[in-house]
Amino acid sequence: MASCEIELVIDTSTTNPTVVTDTGHDDNDAHSDESLMMMIAKRSLILSLNSILTKLHAGYFRISLSLGGQALLWKTFTEPADHDTAGILGHVGNIFHPTAFLVLWSFSLFVLVLLSILYLLRCLFYFKMVKAEFLHHVGVNYLFAPWISWLLLLQSAPGLAPETLPYLVLWWVFSVPVVLLDVKIYGQWFTKGKRFLSTGANPTSQLSVIGNLVGARAAAHMGWRESAVCLFSLGMVHYLVLFVTLYQRLSGGDRLPVLLRPVFFLFFAAPGVASLAWESIVGGFDTASKMLFFLSLFLFTSLICRPMLFRRSMRRFNVAWWAYSFPVTVLAIAATEYAYEVKGMIANSLTLILSALSVLVSFALTLFTLLNSKMLLPDNDPIASLLLHLPVSH
Amino acid sequence: MENSTSHEIAEHGSLEVPSLIKYISSNEVAGFDSTETATELQFLGPSDKQEIQKDEEKGQGDESVAVNHQRKISISISMPLSPEEVQSHNNGETSLGDGIPNSSSQSNTEGSKPPRQAKCYSQPMPKGHVYPEDTEGRVNFGQNPHINRLKDNRFDPFKTFSGRLERQLSIFRGKPPKQAPAKQENNINNTDRPLTVDRYFDALEGPELETLRASEEAVLPQNERWPFLLRFPISSFGICLGVSSQAILWKTLATSPSTEFLHISLEVNLVLWIISIALVASIFTMYLLKIIIYFEAVRREYYHPIRVNFFFAPWIALLFLALGVPPSLTKYLHHALWYILMVPIFFLELKIYGQWMSGGQRRLSKVANPSNHLSVVGNFVGALLGASMGLKEGPIFFFAVGLAHYTVLFVTLYQRLPTNETLPKELHPVFFLFVAAPSVASMAWARIQDSFDYGSRIAYFIALFLYFSLAVRVNFFRGFKFSLAWWAYTFPMTGAAIATIRYSNQVTNIVTKVLCVILSLISTLTVTALLVSTVLHAFVLKDLFPNDIAIAISDRRRKPHKNRWFPLRHGSSEHSKVIENFLKFSNTEGDGDLEAALKQPSNPFEQH
Repeated sequence: MASCEIELVIDTSTTNPTVVTDTGHDDNDAHSDESLMMMIAKRSLILSLNSILTKLHAGYFRISLSLGGQALLWKTFTEPADHDTAGILGHVGNIFHPTAFLVLWSFSLFVLVLLSILYLLRCLFYFKMVKAEFLHHVGVNYLFAPWISWLLLLQSAPGLAPETLPYLVLWWVFSVPVVLLDVKIYGQWFTKGKRFLSTGANPTSQLSVIGNLVGARAAAHMGWRESAVCLFSLGMVHYLVLFVTLYQRLSGGDRLPVLLRPVFFLFFAAPGVASLAWESIVGGFDTASKMLFFLSLFLFTSLICRPMLFRRSMRRFNVAWWAYSFPVTVLAIAATEYAYEVKGMIANSLTLILSALSVLVSFALTLFTLLNSKMLLPDNDPIASLLLHLPVSH
Repeated sequence: MENSTSHEIAEHGSLEVPSLIKYISSNEVAGFDSTETATELQFLGPSDKQEIQKDEEKGQGDESVAVNHQRKISISISMPLSPEEVQSHNNGETSLGDGIPNSSSQSNTEGSKPPRQAKCYSQPMPKGHVYPEDTEGRVNFGQNPHINRLKDNRFDPFKTFSGRLERQLSIFRGKPPKQAPAKQENNINNTDRPLTVDRYFDALEGPELETLRASEEAVLPQNERWPFLLRFPISSFGICLGVSSQAILWKTLATSPSTEFLHISLEVNLVLWIISIALVASIFTMYLLKIIIYFEAVRREYYHPIRVNFFFAPWIALLFLALGVPPSLTKYLHHALWYILMVPIFFLELKIYGQWMSGGQRRLSKVANPSNHLSVVGNFVGALLGASMGLKEGPIFFFAVGLAHYTVLFVTLYQRLPTNETLPKELHPVFFLFVAAPSVASMAWARIQDSFDYGSRIAYFIALFLYFSLAVRVNFFRGFKFSLAWWAYTFPMTGAAIATIRYSNQVTNIVTKVLCVILSLISTLTVTALLVSTVLHAFVLKDLFPNDIAIAISDRRRKPHKNRWFPLRHGSSEHSKVIENFLKFSNTEGDGDLEAALKQPSNPFEQH
């Protein structure tokens, strides 16, 4: 900042020669002091904005993703549509006061709007960086994250019933980009020479699948069954290919930097969202949804039994930690739906445990973020550092 | 003499020299006692030892041997081996000087461990020496009275806690320990460094990764029969699988409406089931004994990329027993039984599938092989049993997990990735495992849905197709050495037969009935042939349980030039001459000994 100040001084001195010459004038001094302060403030604001824009990449939408997921979870508890709220879950629903849910939803909306505006600015001013993200095998998948977050907020919006027109319009606004990205990315998988799936597949690729499935669920809630099935089949087919490829680990797992290990949680997010999507298409939690839910549960158990996998990524706080929250939340929502269908002690306790875990994780992450707000935009972010070597236009 | 001593001092840089000299002259020990080696080496840092070893390896034969001789008491013959090689001591007690390499190499590897953990593995120990352990009187000349104890201790590294447990047990039983409690914690595979999967791929070959490659050496002597438990592989549980699945087949044949025309009585099922129970009980007991006594060997089997899948076999066998229980004994099984049986499978799965997903060296693209089907079939069998018992959610859980992982495995195996080293290039009975998963899955789904619906039929037809595509290639299954694991490959055929019977219950016509009969016949004939073969190998050829080389691979690949020095394994005559020379000179008194000892032994090597 020191250098900036020097610059400013020179600047103001050239632009305000009266200050130099008229030393006796109090008015002028006061006036120029204020304008000087304002200029300094403006400059510093612009500079900090610049630094934020350069460092903010699509991965930061993990935050809005997690918050949106949380909002959806709370909505599932507080407004269980066409489920009977008898039993333990009904009581739990009463804990989640509607006002608290409203606050949470508003907060998520605020965060998402902020992130969206910032990213929009980044697209405008630093388009080359956005393009670099698009070309990166991990960064490209996070371009789905904003649209998923918006869809989640749409689904969890209080007071906005799925049959209304605004809902429909918004669904179109958010789903079309998802489909466009699909066409581009999925097509690349099997056509383009440099970006084959076998070389570029990594756990974040499941975000594209999740995007399709969330869109399918939102459509099914609207009653648009065909679009729902269309998006669902698109997602599932590519999920099949991706699941096999990721399990094989052809490239030996060196496609993902160690700091991004938390994204392994996406392994059980995808089947969880698939189970919810199928449930909304069919109308009830049938066998297929149960199977997807169980698969998600199994993968969750498998991952939490391997804490060593995540040890190295947990040393310093970074935004990748937010990748833990959304999958657990999705699993909790799926467990809730499962428990509504299969009423029993095991199902209920499973729901409670998972929901508690999800709330805890989100809360802890928010706390960590607030405490380490400086580290939120670090200089050596794993994704950003990969993109910085490309020429940037100011 | 001065030279030699100073040389020695320079080399060792320790106070060992005086005791060394004393030792030589005192003639307390008959033969090359390299306890000193152990002693000295222990005081050296690992780098020193390595340096010594390297020196010795690089030096010319004569001098090094001479030097060896002199400190033979130190390192001597051990040199040719690389410092890290610990297993050498286990090889060929038949050849001379193996004890020495042991100690040095062991001490090297143990360098990081406290010195008392030593080496003195097969050295005769003088009484009252600094290292009083190990009076096992192992003289490595192949003297008969010691052979039994030789054998005992050769296999100690494979034993639980390297034999300490056994000694404890014998103490408890009231027998005095045979030997002084030797500090034999010289595990050949320092337990903190498990064998990597690459080591198995490098050292073994063959469709079941059973045969040792020519360039590799086994840690245990191959020309002797090892203790029975050490030869008892986990793949023996395949017998349980084969026989218990037969019990289920005959039960289904007897109870299904579509096969009533065969008039099969339930007696057959009862007899087979009782035989299976007996088999399962005995094999379980034997393997349990193996775990208790030879835990190290069990660990090595667990790390074997193909044998690990057989760890699912005991639990699948138990599930088969529950499925095949004769109706005359019990109609309803308690639900808790199912949960109990599925717990081990669940935990094993978490471990193995997690390895596939996240393990660097054991990822699926690298280790995929048809035996992996055993890891997946357990899910479907559990789902089948649970659904037959009336459970709902649990079977669906395991079915879902099994289906997801089966898809991955199926695609991977069909791809036959070039990075995959474990797929046999030629057809082998192990390929029949391909038929297992879809056929059991179809039955499980039929039970879950309460009717043989489209999902089950799809799975069933896939199984049938795979069966036929393998059956028409039966010519390519020739020329394989019989192994006990073949029993495990019979249960898919039986499974296909049972699935056909269930299918014919739903779709009853002449074609399906004929198919039932044919498949059942094939399966029964195969099992009978295998039974005859097994009996033949057991009683006539007496090689039903050959030495299990797959678990005895060495930690590291041997350095190729070792044979330049001593063909250790084969008890060469030069060796004996060296020893003789030493003995001759060890008997004399005075300083002249060392020099004489130094000079003399060089001659035999100059001659060679």
